[in-house]
Amino acid sequence: MSFWATCAGMVAVTFGSRLAGLTLHRELPPFWLRFLHFVPISVFAALVAPSLTGSRGEGGIRIVAAALAAFAAWWTRQLAVAIAVGMAAFWLLRVPF
Amino acid sequence: MFRSGFRATAPLWLGVAPFGVAYAVLARGAGLSLLETQALSLLVFAGSSQVSAVGLFARGAGGLEIVFTTLLLNVRHVLYGLSLGRRVPLTRRERLAAAFFLTDEAYGVSVASGARTFSFVLGAEVSLYVTWNLATLAGALLGGVIPDPEKLGVDFVFPLAFLALLIPLLRRRVDVLVAVVAGVLAWVLARNTPGGLPIVIAGVVGSLLGAVLTHREGPA
Repeated sequence: MSFWATCAGMVAVTFGSRLAGLTLHRELPPFWLRFLHFVPISVFAALVAPSLTGSRGEGGIRIVAAALAAFAAWWTRQLAVAIAVGMAAFWLLRVPF
Repeated sequence: MFRSGFRATAPLWLGVAPFGVAYAVLARGAGLSLLETQALSLLVFAGSSQVSAVGLFARGAGGLEIVFTTLLLNVRHVLYGLSLGRRVPLTRRERLAAAFFLTDEAYGVSVASGARTFSFVLGAEVSLYVTWNLATLAGALLGGVIPDPEKLGVDFVFPLAFLALLIPLLRRRVDVLVAVVAGVLAWVLARNTPGGLPIVIAGVVGSLLGAVLTHREGPA
């Protein structure tokens, strides 16, 4: 397959996945409505957890930084503040003492 | 509304920009032309699949293999679409645009901010699209003089962002339980399953668990 055929295939499966959920019928039975309530909770947790241990043996640092960011998120409800707190802690702790 | 959506994802530029530059450097290293490198960012617009695609190109993998990997990485968007489609009313044309620019981050920020309008969602999405494509262009032009973002640790912005989006959603005990189960499951799966599959599996299992546990209540 040429580059452009591959690119077209990538567009098709990516756009297809993105459109499929948005297009599906809206009237859902109660079970699936409750299911959807838990989708962001499960997905966000699944996006966070594997990155906490990292690939460079700095899992401890990442978990401490994430805990501080979580506290900042709970306290301020501000995405930017939580990221700033977490990254500041992460970079400071990474400096070898 | 477009503007507030656009601004709502701005804190993520710090993570998106270096990642976009890194993708472009990898793509150029894998032998893709400037046009091809940019085309993937403009047309596919999916960071992790673009990075794995250029990795596969570099190893001389076939097109089908690359397309299948992309599908595995991106099926999770079906869940986002289902969830977002219930929150935000969309016309047919709006649905096409909202789908084309959809990403984890734009979905996350839209849900967390309680967005109910198409223009907010589009603003959040386009904000990342513009940043990703400018970063791709910069990386493709600058080439190998950029340090590895993982070495700088900027990739850590993404888990922090999703953690910050998760916290306000944890209102009941069952929410916390579902988050813990999904997180542990994803962590275990990610050690030996490629790409986006751990997220799909943990997302489905966690949501099923939550729906079963709350069967005595009405819809949340």
